[in-house]
Amino acid sequence: MRKTLLGLAGTVALLFGLAAPALAFEPVNVVHTEKVQAGPYDLTIGFSTWPVKAMQSLDFTFAPENGIEGKKGTLTLFREGVEDDGGPLARHPRKREVWGLDIFALPEPGTWTMRFEVDGPAGAGTGELKNLQVMEQPGPPMGLSWAISTIPLFGLIALIVVAWRRTRAAVD
Amino acid sequence: MTVHITATAASSARTVPRGLVPASAVVGGTLISLIGLTWDIQWHSDVGPDTFFTLPHLFLYAGSAISGLASLAVVLLTTADSKRGKVVDPMVGGRAVGVFGRTFAAPVGYLISGIGAALFLVYGLWDQWWHGLYGFDAVIDSPPHIGLLLSISITMVGAVMIFAVARDQRWGTYGVAAAAGTLLAFSMVTVLGLRALPGGAVNTVNAGSAFFSVMILFMGAYVLKRRGGALAVGIVVALLQAVFWWFSPWATDVYADATGLPLRDYADGIPGLPNMIPMSLILVAVAVELLHKVPAWLTGAIGGVIITACAPLQRMLVQGSNFPALERYVATVVAGAVLGALAGVLGRRFGHMLRHLAPAKEDSHA
Repeated sequence: MRKTLLGLAGTVALLFGLAAPALAFEPVNVVHTEKVQAGPYDLTIGFSTWPVKAMQSLDFTFAPENGIEGKKGTLTLFREGVEDDGGPLARHPRKREVWGLDIFALPEPGTWTMRFEVDGPAGAGTGELKNLQVMEQPGPPMGLSWAISTIPLFGLIALIVVAWRRTRAAVD
Repeated sequence: MTVHITATAASSARTVPRGLVPASAVVGGTLISLIGLTWDIQWHSDVGPDTFFTLPHLFLYAGSAISGLASLAVVLLTTADSKRGKVVDPMVGGRAVGVFGRTFAAPVGYLISGIGAALFLVYGLWDQWWHGLYGFDAVIDSPPHIGLLLSISITMVGAVMIFAVARDQRWGTYGVAAAAGTLLAFSMVTVLGLRALPGGAVNTVNAGSAFFSVMILFMGAYVLKRRGGALAVGIVVALLQAVFWWFSPWATDVYADATGLPLRDYADGIPGLPNMIPMSLILVAVAVELLHKVPAWLTGAIGGVIITACAPLQRMLVQGSNFPALERYVATVVAGAVLGALAGVLGRRFGHMLRHLAPAKEDSHA
Protein backbone atom coordinates (compact mmCIF):
# COMPACT_ATOMS: atom_id res chain seq x y z
CA MET A 1 0.00 0.00 0.00
CA ARG A 2 2.77 2.39 1.01
CA LYS A 3 4.68 1.57 -2.17
CA THR A 4 1.58 2.23 -4.25
CA LEU A 5 1.05 5.59 -2.57
CA LEU A 6 4.72 6.50 -3.01
CA GLY A 7 4.48 5.52 -6.67
CA LEU A 8 1.37 7.64 -7.16
CA ALA A 9 2.96 10.63 -5.38
CA GLY A 10 6.05 10.25 -7.55
CA THR A 11 3.95 10.17 -10.72
CA VAL A 12 2.01 13.28 -9.69
CA ALA A 13 5.24 15.11 -8.77
CA LEU A 14 6.78 14.12 -12.11
CA LEU A 15 3.68 15.28 -14.01
CA PHE A 16 3.62 18.64 -12.26
CA GLY A 17 7.39 18.96 -12.51
CA LEU A 18 7.17 18.49 -16.26
CA ALA A 19 4.03 20.58 -16.60
CA ALA A 20 5.32 23.61 -14.70
CA PRO A 21 8.07 24.72 -17.13
CA ALA A 22 5.88 23.79 -20.11
CA LEU A 23 3.22 26.22 -18.86
CA ALA A 24 5.25 29.14 -20.17
CA PHE A 25 2.82 30.63 -22.66
CA GLU A 26 3.98 31.79 -26.07
CA PRO A 27 4.52 35.55 -26.30
CA VAL A 28 2.49 37.52 -28.85
CA ASN A 29 4.73 37.95 -31.85
CA VAL A 30 3.50 40.66 -34.24
CA VAL A 31 4.87 40.16 -37.77
CA HIS A 32 2.71 42.65 -39.68
CA THR A 33 0.86 45.85 -38.81
CA GLU A 34 -1.81 48.05 -40.38
CA LYS A 35 -2.95 51.53 -39.35
CA VAL A 36 -6.55 52.64 -38.78
CA GLN A 37 -7.76 56.14 -37.91
CA ALA A 38 -10.83 55.90 -35.65
CA GLY A 39 -11.81 59.55 -35.20
CA PRO A 40 -9.20 61.09 -32.91
CA TYR A 41 -7.50 57.74 -32.22
CA ASP A 42 -4.61 56.21 -34.12
CA LEU A 43 -4.95 52.44 -33.97
CA THR A 44 -2.22 49.98 -34.88
CA ILE A 45 -3.56 46.57 -35.86
CA GLY A 46 -1.01 43.79 -35.33
CA PHE A 47 -1.08 40.30 -36.87
CA SER A 48 1.01 37.36 -35.58
CA THR A 49 0.78 35.63 -38.99
CA TRP A 50 0.77 37.25 -42.42
CA PRO A 51 -0.90 36.84 -44.85
CA VAL A 52 -4.09 35.77 -43.08
CA LYS A 53 -5.59 32.45 -44.19
CA ALA A 54 -9.12 31.21 -43.54
CA MET A 55 -9.45 29.01 -40.42
CA GLN A 56 -5.83 29.59 -39.43
CA SER A 57 -5.76 31.06 -35.94
CA LEU A 58 -3.52 33.96 -35.01
CA ASP A 59 -3.15 36.74 -32.45
CA PHE A 60 -4.62 40.10 -33.39
CA THR A 61 -3.61 43.18 -31.40
CA PHE A 62 -5.38 46.55 -31.48
CA ALA A 63 -3.22 49.29 -29.94
CA PRO A 64 -4.36 52.92 -29.64
CA GLU A 65 -1.44 55.38 -29.82
CA ASN A 66 -1.61 56.49 -26.19
CA GLY A 67 -2.61 53.17 -24.70
CA ILE A 68 -6.01 51.70 -23.79
CA GLU A 69 -6.30 53.43 -20.38
CA GLY A 70 -9.62 55.27 -20.11
CA LYS A 71 -10.81 54.00 -23.50
CA LYS A 72 -13.36 51.42 -24.49
CA GLY A 73 -14.83 50.30 -27.75
CA THR A 74 -16.25 47.60 -29.96
CA LEU A 75 -14.99 45.59 -32.90
CA THR A 76 -17.31 44.40 -35.66
CA LEU A 77 -16.19 42.02 -38.40
CA PHE A 78 -17.73 42.05 -41.87
CA ARG A 79 -17.14 39.51 -44.64
CA GLU A 80 -17.91 40.82 -48.14
CA GLY A 81 -19.85 43.66 -46.47
CA VAL A 82 -22.05 41.35 -44.37
CA GLU A 83 -21.71 41.43 -40.56
CA ASP A 84 -20.14 38.21 -39.30
CA ASP A 85 -18.98 38.66 -35.72
CA GLY A 86 -18.33 41.32 -33.13
CA GLY A 87 -18.04 42.30 -29.51
CA PRO A 88 -16.44 44.67 -27.04
CA LEU A 89 -12.71 45.35 -27.36
CA ALA A 90 -11.05 43.26 -24.63
CA ARG A 91 -7.44 43.15 -23.48
CA HIS A 92 -5.35 40.44 -25.12
CA PRO A 93 -4.87 37.68 -22.48
CA ARG A 94 -1.13 37.42 -23.22
CA LYS A 95 -0.49 41.11 -23.96
CA ARG A 96 -2.62 42.95 -21.46
CA GLU A 97 -1.45 46.45 -22.38
CA VAL A 98 -3.36 46.34 -25.69
CA TRP A 99 -6.72 45.09 -26.91
CA GLY A 100 -6.73 41.96 -29.01
CA LEU A 101 -8.10 38.61 -30.08
CA ASP A 102 -6.10 35.56 -29.01
CA ILE A 103 -5.66 32.53 -31.27
CA PHE A 104 -8.59 33.73 -33.34
CA ALA A 105 -9.38 32.55 -36.88
CA LEU A 106 -11.46 34.15 -39.60
CA PRO A 107 -13.62 31.28 -40.82
CA GLU A 108 -13.95 32.03 -44.54
CA PRO A 109 -11.70 33.35 -47.30
CA GLY A 110 -12.58 36.66 -48.96
CA THR A 111 -12.45 40.37 -48.28
CA TRP A 112 -12.97 41.23 -44.63
CA THR A 113 -13.50 44.57 -42.90
CA MET A 114 -12.76 45.35 -39.25
CA ARG A 115 -14.77 48.26 -37.87
CA PHE A 116 -13.57 49.87 -34.64
CA GLU A 117 -15.75 52.14 -32.56
CA VAL A 118 -13.63 53.74 -29.85
CA ASP A 119 -14.77 55.99 -27.03
CA GLY A 120 -12.27 57.81 -24.81
CA PRO A 121 -11.08 61.12 -23.37
CA ALA A 122 -10.91 62.71 -26.84
CA GLY A 123 -14.49 61.68 -27.68
CA ALA A 124 -15.89 58.91 -29.86
CA GLY A 125 -14.59 57.80 -33.24
CA THR A 126 -15.11 55.08 -35.82
CA GLY A 127 -12.55 53.64 -38.22
CA GLU A 128 -12.32 50.67 -40.54
CA LEU A 129 -9.60 48.37 -41.76
CA LYS A 130 -10.93 47.66 -45.23
CA ASN A 131 -9.87 45.10 -47.81
CA LEU A 132 -8.32 42.65 -45.39
CA GLN A 133 -7.67 39.80 -47.81
CA VAL A 134 -8.14 36.37 -46.24
CA MET A 135 -6.72 33.57 -48.39
CA GLU A 136 -8.05 30.04 -48.88
CA GLN A 137 -7.69 27.67 -45.90
CA PRO A 138 -4.48 25.63 -45.74
CA GLY A 139 -4.42 21.84 -45.56
CA PRO A 140 -6.72 19.19 -46.99
CA PRO A 141 -10.32 19.95 -48.02
CA MET A 142 -12.72 19.96 -45.08
CA GLY A 143 -14.63 16.96 -46.49
CA LEU A 144 -11.50 14.83 -46.22
CA SER A 145 -10.69 16.14 -42.73
CA TRP A 146 -14.21 15.32 -41.57
CA ALA A 147 -14.05 11.88 -43.20
CA ILE A 148 -10.85 11.08 -41.28
CA SER A 149 -12.23 12.48 -38.03
CA THR A 150 -15.52 10.59 -38.09
CA ILE A 151 -13.98 7.13 -38.63
CA PRO A 152 -14.68 6.24 -34.93
CA LEU A 153 -18.36 7.10 -35.49
CA PHE A 154 -18.60 4.88 -38.55
CA GLY A 155 -16.71 2.15 -36.69
CA LEU A 156 -19.28 2.39 -33.90
CA ILE A 157 -22.13 2.21 -36.43
CA ALA A 158 -20.51 -0.89 -37.99
CA LEU A 159 -20.29 -2.50 -34.53
CA ILE A 160 -23.94 -1.70 -33.88
CA VAL A 161 -24.96 -3.23 -37.24
CA VAL A 162 -23.04 -6.44 -36.45
CA ALA A 163 -24.49 -6.63 -32.92
CA TRP A 164 -27.98 -5.88 -34.28
CA ARG A 165 -27.79 -8.73 -36.80
CA ARG A 166 -26.38 -11.18 -34.28
CA THR A 167 -29.04 -10.46 -31.69
CA ARG A 168 -31.96 -10.15 -34.10
CA ALA A 169 -33.41 -13.57 -33.29
CA ALA A 170 -32.93 -13.16 -29.55
CA VAL A 171 -34.35 -9.65 -29.26
CA ASP A 172 -37.22 -9.64 -31.78
CA MET B 1 -15.82 -29.32 -12.62
CA THR B 2 -12.88 -28.98 -10.25
CA VAL B 3 -11.99 -25.67 -11.86
CA HIS B 4 -15.54 -24.44 -11.48
CA ILE B 5 -15.76 -25.36 -7.80
CA THR B 6 -12.39 -23.74 -7.08
CA ALA B 7 -13.48 -20.58 -8.88
CA THR B 8 -16.72 -20.43 -6.92
CA ALA B 9 -14.93 -20.96 -3.62
CA ALA B 10 -12.39 -18.30 -4.49
CA SER B 11 -15.03 -15.78 -5.55
CA SER B 12 -17.08 -16.31 -2.40
CA ALA B 13 -13.99 -15.51 -0.32
CA ARG B 14 -13.54 -12.19 -2.11
CA THR B 15 -14.71 -8.99 -0.50
CA VAL B 16 -14.77 -7.08 -3.81
CA PRO B 17 -17.11 -8.53 -6.46
CA ARG B 18 -15.34 -10.02 -9.47
CA GLY B 19 -14.97 -7.49 -12.27
CA LEU B 20 -15.76 -4.44 -10.15
CA VAL B 21 -12.18 -3.12 -9.94
CA PRO B 22 -11.38 -2.93 -13.68
CA ALA B 23 -14.93 -1.73 -14.46
CA SER B 24 -14.52 1.08 -11.92
CA ALA B 25 -11.14 2.01 -13.43
CA VAL B 26 -12.69 2.29 -16.91
CA VAL B 27 -15.70 4.36 -15.81
CA GLY B 28 -13.46 6.40 -13.46
CA GLY B 29 -11.19 7.16 -16.41
CA THR B 30 -14.15 8.35 -18.48
CA LEU B 31 -15.26 10.59 -15.60
CA ILE B 32 -11.77 12.09 -15.43
CA SER B 33 -12.01 12.77 -19.19
CA LEU B 34 -15.35 14.52 -18.63
CA ILE B 35 -13.87 16.62 -15.79
CA GLY B 36 -10.95 17.56 -18.05
CA LEU B 37 -13.32 18.56 -20.85
CA THR B 38 -15.60 20.76 -18.75
CA TRP B 39 -12.54 22.43 -17.18
CA ASP B 40 -10.82 22.93 -20.55
CA ILE B 41 -13.90 24.48 -22.16
CA GLN B 42 -14.24 26.87 -19.22
CA TRP B 43 -10.55 27.70 -19.32
CA HIS B 44 -10.73 28.74 -22.96
CA SER B 45 -13.81 30.88 -22.48
CA ASP B 46 -12.76 32.58 -19.23
CA VAL B 47 -8.93 32.70 -19.33
CA GLY B 48 -7.53 31.65 -22.69
CA PRO B 49 -3.82 30.89 -22.97
CA ASP B 50 -3.15 27.32 -23.98
CA THR B 51 -0.31 24.81 -24.07
CA PHE B 52 -0.13 21.05 -24.51
CA PHE B 53 0.43 20.64 -20.75
CA THR B 54 -2.38 22.59 -19.10
CA LEU B 55 -3.95 20.80 -16.13
CA PRO B 56 -7.32 20.34 -17.89
CA HIS B 57 -5.46 18.74 -20.81
CA LEU B 58 -3.64 16.41 -18.41
CA PHE B 59 -7.02 15.30 -17.05
CA LEU B 60 -8.17 14.57 -20.61
CA TYR B 61 -5.06 12.52 -21.38
CA ALA B 62 -5.08 10.78 -17.97
CA GLY B 63 -8.75 9.77 -18.34
CA SER B 64 -8.13 7.91 -21.58
CA ALA B 65 -4.85 6.48 -20.24
CA ILE B 66 -6.54 5.05 -17.12
CA SER B 67 -9.44 3.53 -19.08
CA GLY B 68 -7.06 2.25 -21.75
CA LEU B 69 -4.57 0.66 -19.35
CA ALA B 70 -7.36 -0.98 -17.32
CA SER B 71 -8.84 -2.39 -20.55
CA LEU B 72 -5.43 -3.61 -21.70
CA ALA B 73 -4.80 -5.30 -18.34
CA VAL B 74 -8.12 -7.18 -18.52
CA VAL B 75 -7.48 -8.25 -22.13
CA LEU B 76 -3.98 -9.53 -21.26
CA LEU B 77 -5.19 -11.39 -18.15
CA THR B 78 -8.08 -12.91 -20.08
CA THR B 79 -5.69 -13.94 -22.86
CA ALA B 80 -3.35 -15.55 -20.31
CA ASP B 81 -6.27 -17.43 -18.69
CA SER B 82 -7.57 -18.59 -22.01
CA LYS B 83 -4.11 -19.82 -23.13
CA ARG B 84 -3.79 -21.76 -19.88
CA GLY B 85 -7.14 -23.37 -20.61
CA LYS B 86 -8.85 -21.68 -17.63
CA VAL B 87 -12.55 -20.93 -17.79
CA VAL B 88 -13.00 -17.26 -18.68
CA ASP B 89 -15.78 -15.65 -16.68
CA PRO B 90 -18.03 -13.77 -19.13
CA MET B 91 -19.30 -11.62 -16.25
CA VAL B 92 -16.06 -9.62 -16.58
CA GLY B 93 -16.76 -7.45 -19.60
CA GLY B 94 -18.80 -10.01 -21.57
CA ARG B 95 -17.86 -12.86 -23.87
CA ALA B 96 -14.21 -13.03 -24.91
CA VAL B 97 -13.65 -12.58 -28.64
CA GLY B 98 -10.50 -13.44 -30.58
CA VAL B 99 -8.38 -10.50 -31.71
CA PHE B 100 -5.75 -10.91 -34.48
CA GLY B 101 -6.95 -14.44 -35.03
CA ARG B 102 -6.67 -16.04 -31.62
CA THR B 103 -3.62 -14.08 -30.48
CA PHE B 104 -5.67 -12.23 -27.85
CA ALA B 105 -8.89 -13.15 -26.07
CA ALA B 106 -10.66 -9.89 -25.27
CA PRO B 107 -13.90 -9.49 -23.32
CA VAL B 108 -16.00 -7.48 -25.76
CA GLY B 109 -16.71 -4.56 -23.37
CA TYR B 110 -13.03 -4.06 -22.57
CA LEU B 111 -12.13 -4.51 -26.23
CA ILE B 112 -14.37 -1.55 -27.16
CA SER B 113 -13.20 0.66 -24.26
CA GLY B 114 -9.58 -0.17 -25.13
CA ILE B 115 -10.08 0.57 -28.83
CA GLY B 116 -11.53 3.98 -27.86
CA ALA B 117 -8.44 4.75 -25.76
CA ALA B 118 -6.10 3.64 -28.58
CA LEU B 119 -8.01 5.80 -31.08
CA PHE B 120 -7.59 8.74 -28.69
CA LEU B 121 -3.82 8.41 -29.12
CA VAL B 122 -4.11 8.30 -32.92
CA TYR B 123 -6.42 11.32 -33.03
CA GLY B 124 -4.08 13.11 -30.61
CA LEU B 125 -1.42 12.91 -33.33
CA TRP B 126 -3.92 14.09 -35.98
CA ASP B 127 -4.79 17.01 -33.68
CA GLN B 128 -1.11 17.91 -33.22
CA TRP B 129 -0.64 18.00 -36.99
CA TRP B 130 -3.80 20.10 -37.35
CA HIS B 131 -2.59 22.65 -34.78
CA GLY B 132 0.74 22.85 -36.60
CA LEU B 133 -1.13 23.84 -39.75
CA TYR B 134 -4.00 25.91 -38.37
CA GLY B 135 -2.45 27.32 -35.19
CA PHE B 136 -3.46 26.64 -31.61
CA ASP B 137 -7.08 27.54 -32.10
CA ALA B 138 -9.46 26.96 -29.23
CA VAL B 139 -12.20 25.72 -31.56
CA ILE B 140 -13.98 22.86 -29.83
CA ASP B 141 -15.63 21.57 -33.02
CA SER B 142 -12.59 21.27 -35.29
CA PRO B 143 -12.50 17.90 -37.11
CA PRO B 144 -9.63 16.43 -35.00
CA HIS B 145 -11.30 17.57 -31.77
CA ILE B 146 -14.49 15.80 -32.83
CA GLY B 147 -12.32 12.74 -33.63
CA LEU B 148 -10.88 12.90 -30.09
CA LEU B 149 -14.33 13.34 -28.53
CA LEU B 150 -15.70 10.40 -30.57
CA SER B 151 -12.76 8.25 -29.41
CA ILE B 152 -13.52 9.03 -25.77
CA SER B 153 -17.21 8.32 -26.49
CA ILE B 154 -16.25 4.85 -27.73
CA THR B 155 -14.47 4.19 -24.43
CA MET B 156 -17.65 5.37 -22.69
CA VAL B 157 -19.75 2.96 -24.79
CA GLY B 158 -17.33 0.21 -23.71
CA ALA B 159 -17.92 1.23 -20.08
CA VAL B 160 -21.70 0.91 -20.54
CA MET B 161 -21.17 -2.57 -22.06
CA ILE B 162 -18.93 -3.66 -19.17
CA PHE B 163 -21.52 -2.71 -16.55
CA ALA B 164 -24.43 -3.98 -18.63
CA VAL B 165 -22.99 -7.48 -18.30
CA ALA B 166 -23.20 -7.19 -14.51
CA ARG B 167 -26.58 -5.42 -14.46
CA ASP B 168 -28.12 -8.07 -12.21
CA GLN B 169 -25.73 -7.14 -9.44
CA ARG B 170 -26.10 -3.94 -7.48
CA TRP B 171 -22.76 -2.50 -8.65
CA GLY B 172 -23.67 -3.31 -12.24
CA THR B 173 -26.98 -1.43 -11.94
CA TYR B 174 -25.34 1.67 -10.49
CA GLY B 175 -22.52 1.33 -13.00
CA VAL B 176 -24.88 1.31 -15.99
CA ALA B 177 -26.55 4.50 -14.72
CA ALA B 178 -23.16 6.16 -14.07
CA ALA B 179 -21.60 5.08 -17.39
CA ALA B 180 -24.69 5.99 -19.45
CA GLY B 181 -25.01 9.35 -17.65
CA THR B 182 -21.35 10.13 -18.32
CA LEU B 183 -21.74 9.21 -22.00
CA LEU B 184 -24.87 11.36 -22.26
CA ALA B 185 -23.27 14.44 -20.66
CA PHE B 186 -20.15 14.05 -22.80
CA SER B 187 -22.14 13.63 -26.03
CA MET B 188 -23.70 17.07 -25.54
CA VAL B 189 -20.26 18.49 -26.47
CA THR B 190 -19.64 16.08 -29.35
CA VAL B 191 -22.90 17.18 -31.02
CA LEU B 192 -21.33 20.62 -31.54
CA GLY B 193 -19.71 18.94 -34.56
CA LEU B 194 -23.18 19.04 -36.15
CA ARG B 195 -22.69 22.78 -36.67
CA ALA B 196 -20.74 21.72 -39.77
CA LEU B 197 -23.96 20.28 -41.27
CA PRO B 198 -26.37 22.43 -43.27
CA GLY B 199 -29.58 22.36 -41.24
CA GLY B 200 -31.69 24.89 -43.12
CA ALA B 201 -34.12 26.32 -40.61
CA VAL B 202 -33.29 23.60 -38.04
CA ASN B 203 -30.84 24.20 -35.20
CA THR B 204 -28.77 21.06 -35.83
CA VAL B 205 -27.05 21.16 -32.43
CA ASN B 206 -30.35 21.29 -30.49
CA ALA B 207 -31.87 18.56 -32.67
CA GLY B 208 -28.70 16.45 -32.25
CA SER B 209 -28.73 16.96 -28.47
CA ALA B 210 -32.34 15.74 -28.40
CA PHE B 211 -31.49 12.68 -30.50
CA PHE B 212 -28.47 11.56 -28.49
CA SER B 213 -29.86 12.34 -25.05
CA VAL B 214 -33.14 10.49 -25.73
CA MET B 215 -31.27 7.56 -27.29
CA ILE B 216 -28.80 7.16 -24.43
CA LEU B 217 -31.53 7.63 -21.79
CA PHE B 218 -33.65 4.91 -23.42
CA MET B 219 -30.63 2.67 -23.81
CA GLY B 220 -29.84 2.93 -20.09
CA ALA B 221 -33.49 2.42 -19.13
CA TYR B 222 -33.89 -0.68 -21.29
CA VAL B 223 -30.59 -2.24 -20.16
CA LEU B 224 -31.76 -1.98 -16.57
CA LYS B 225 -35.35 -2.86 -17.55
CA ARG B 226 -36.76 -1.93 -14.18
CA ARG B 227 -38.82 0.93 -12.79
CA GLY B 228 -36.61 3.91 -12.10
CA GLY B 229 -33.97 2.98 -14.71
CA ALA B 230 -34.52 6.07 -16.86
CA LEU B 231 -34.78 8.23 -13.76
CA ALA B 232 -31.48 6.85 -12.47
CA VAL B 233 -29.70 7.90 -15.68
CA GLY B 234 -31.48 11.29 -15.58
CA ILE B 235 -30.40 11.84 -11.97
CA VAL B 236 -26.77 10.98 -12.77
CA VAL B 237 -26.80 13.54 -15.58
CA ALA B 238 -28.46 16.17 -13.36
CA LEU B 239 -25.87 15.51 -10.62
CA LEU B 240 -22.99 15.86 -13.10
CA GLN B 241 -24.57 19.07 -14.39
CA ALA B 242 -25.00 20.49 -10.88
CA VAL B 243 -21.48 19.58 -9.71
CA PHE B 244 -19.85 20.88 -12.89
CA TRP B 245 -21.94 24.06 -12.70
CA TRP B 246 -20.01 24.84 -9.53
CA PHE B 247 -16.73 23.07 -10.41
CA SER B 248 -15.95 24.43 -13.90
CA PRO B 249 -15.78 28.18 -13.07
CA TRP B 250 -14.28 27.46 -9.63
CA ALA B 251 -11.45 25.24 -10.95
CA THR B 252 -10.80 27.73 -13.73
CA ASP B 253 -10.48 30.61 -11.25
CA VAL B 254 -8.21 28.59 -8.94
CA TYR B 255 -5.98 27.45 -11.82
CA ALA B 256 -5.77 30.96 -13.27
CA ASP B 257 -4.75 32.25 -9.83
CA ALA B 258 -2.16 29.50 -9.43
CA THR B 259 -0.59 30.27 -12.81
CA GLY B 260 -0.79 34.03 -12.31
CA LEU B 261 -3.12 34.58 -15.28
CA PRO B 262 -5.99 37.06 -15.18
CA LEU B 263 -9.54 36.30 -16.26
CA ARG B 264 -10.53 37.69 -19.65
CA ASP B 265 -12.23 41.05 -19.82
CA TYR B 266 -15.96 40.39 -20.21
CA ALA B 267 -15.64 36.74 -19.06
CA ASP B 268 -19.21 35.91 -18.04
CA GLY B 269 -18.34 32.86 -15.92
CA ILE B 270 -21.35 30.94 -17.29
CA PRO B 271 -20.51 27.23 -16.98
CA GLY B 272 -19.89 26.17 -20.60
CA LEU B 273 -20.25 22.39 -20.67
CA PRO B 274 -22.95 22.11 -17.97
CA ASN B 275 -25.04 24.62 -19.89
CA MET B 276 -24.87 22.41 -23.00
CA ILE B 277 -26.65 19.63 -21.05
CA PRO B 278 -30.45 19.99 -21.34
CA MET B 279 -31.91 20.76 -17.91
CA SER B 280 -35.19 19.37 -19.26
CA LEU B 281 -33.70 15.85 -19.44
CA ILE B 282 -35.04 15.06 -16.00
CA LEU B 283 -38.56 15.78 -17.34
CA VAL B 284 -37.91 13.35 -20.17
CA ALA B 285 -36.72 10.73 -17.65
CA VAL B 286 -39.94 11.20 -15.63
CA ALA B 287 -41.99 10.94 -18.84
CA VAL B 288 -40.24 7.66 -19.74
CA GLU B 289 -41.05 6.29 -16.28
CA LEU B 290 -44.70 7.36 -16.40
CA LEU B 291 -45.28 6.27 -20.00
CA HIS B 292 -43.54 2.89 -19.79
CA LYS B 293 -46.50 1.16 -21.42
CA VAL B 294 -46.52 3.57 -24.38
CA PRO B 295 -44.51 2.55 -27.50
CA ALA B 296 -40.88 3.70 -27.40
CA TRP B 297 -41.24 5.82 -30.55
CA LEU B 298 -44.00 7.90 -28.99
CA THR B 299 -42.22 8.45 -25.67
CA GLY B 300 -39.06 9.21 -27.66
CA ALA B 301 -40.90 11.79 -29.76
CA ILE B 302 -42.27 13.41 -26.59
CA GLY B 303 -38.72 13.46 -25.18
CA GLY B 304 -37.36 15.04 -28.37
CA VAL B 305 -40.06 17.72 -28.24
CA ILE B 306 -39.39 18.49 -24.55
CA ILE B 307 -35.65 18.90 -25.16
CA THR B 308 -35.84 21.00 -28.33
CA ALA B 309 -38.69 23.14 -26.97
CA CYS B 310 -36.88 23.87 -23.70
CA ALA B 311 -33.35 24.45 -25.11
CA PRO B 312 -33.92 28.14 -26.04
CA LEU B 313 -35.65 28.70 -22.68
CA GLN B 314 -32.55 27.42 -20.87
CA ARG B 315 -30.36 29.82 -22.87
CA MET B 316 -32.73 32.70 -22.10
CA LEU B 317 -32.63 31.82 -18.41
CA VAL B 318 -28.87 31.34 -18.14
CA GLN B 319 -27.40 33.67 -20.74
CA GLY B 320 -30.21 36.15 -21.23
CA SER B 321 -30.35 35.18 -24.93
CA ASN B 322 -33.23 36.20 -27.16
CA PHE B 323 -35.92 33.73 -28.16
CA PRO B 324 -35.09 32.38 -31.64
CA ALA B 325 -37.13 33.23 -34.76
CA LEU B 326 -40.44 31.34 -34.59
CA GLU B 327 -39.86 29.51 -37.88
CA ARG B 328 -36.49 28.19 -36.64
CA TYR B 329 -37.97 27.23 -33.28
CA VAL B 330 -40.87 25.28 -34.80
CA ALA B 331 -38.66 23.57 -37.39
CA THR B 332 -36.25 22.47 -34.63
CA VAL B 333 -39.06 21.14 -32.41
CA VAL B 334 -40.50 19.17 -35.36
CA ALA B 335 -37.02 17.76 -36.07
CA GLY B 336 -36.76 16.97 -32.34
CA ALA B 337 -40.03 14.99 -32.49
CA VAL B 338 -38.92 12.95 -35.51
CA LEU B 339 -35.38 12.34 -34.24
CA GLY B 340 -36.70 11.66 -30.73
CA ALA B 341 -39.04 8.96 -32.10
CA LEU B 342 -36.12 7.35 -33.93
CA ALA B 343 -33.90 7.70 -30.86
CA GLY B 344 -36.55 6.06 -28.66
CA VAL B 345 -36.74 3.03 -30.96
CA LEU B 346 -32.95 2.79 -31.36
CA GLY B 347 -32.28 3.31 -27.64
CA ARG B 348 -34.77 0.56 -26.73
CA ARG B 349 -33.16 -1.80 -29.20
CA PHE B 350 -29.62 -0.94 -28.04
CA GLY B 351 -30.73 -1.61 -24.46
CA HIS B 352 -31.95 -5.06 -25.48
CA MET B 353 -28.73 -5.70 -27.39
CA LEU B 354 -26.70 -4.76 -24.31
CA ARG B 355 -28.75 -7.14 -22.16
CA HIS B 356 -27.74 -9.88 -24.55
CA LEU B 357 -24.10 -9.35 -23.55
CA ALA B 358 -24.65 -11.31 -20.32
CA PRO B 359 -24.86 -14.82 -21.77
CA ALA B 360 -25.54 -17.05 -18.79
CA LYS B 361 -28.54 -15.14 -17.51
CA GLU B 362 -30.07 -14.61 -20.95
CA ASP B 363 -29.58 -18.23 -21.92
CA SER B 364 -31.24 -19.44 -18.76
CA HIS B 365 -34.24 -17.27 -19.57
CA ALA B 366 -34.35 -18.41 -23.19
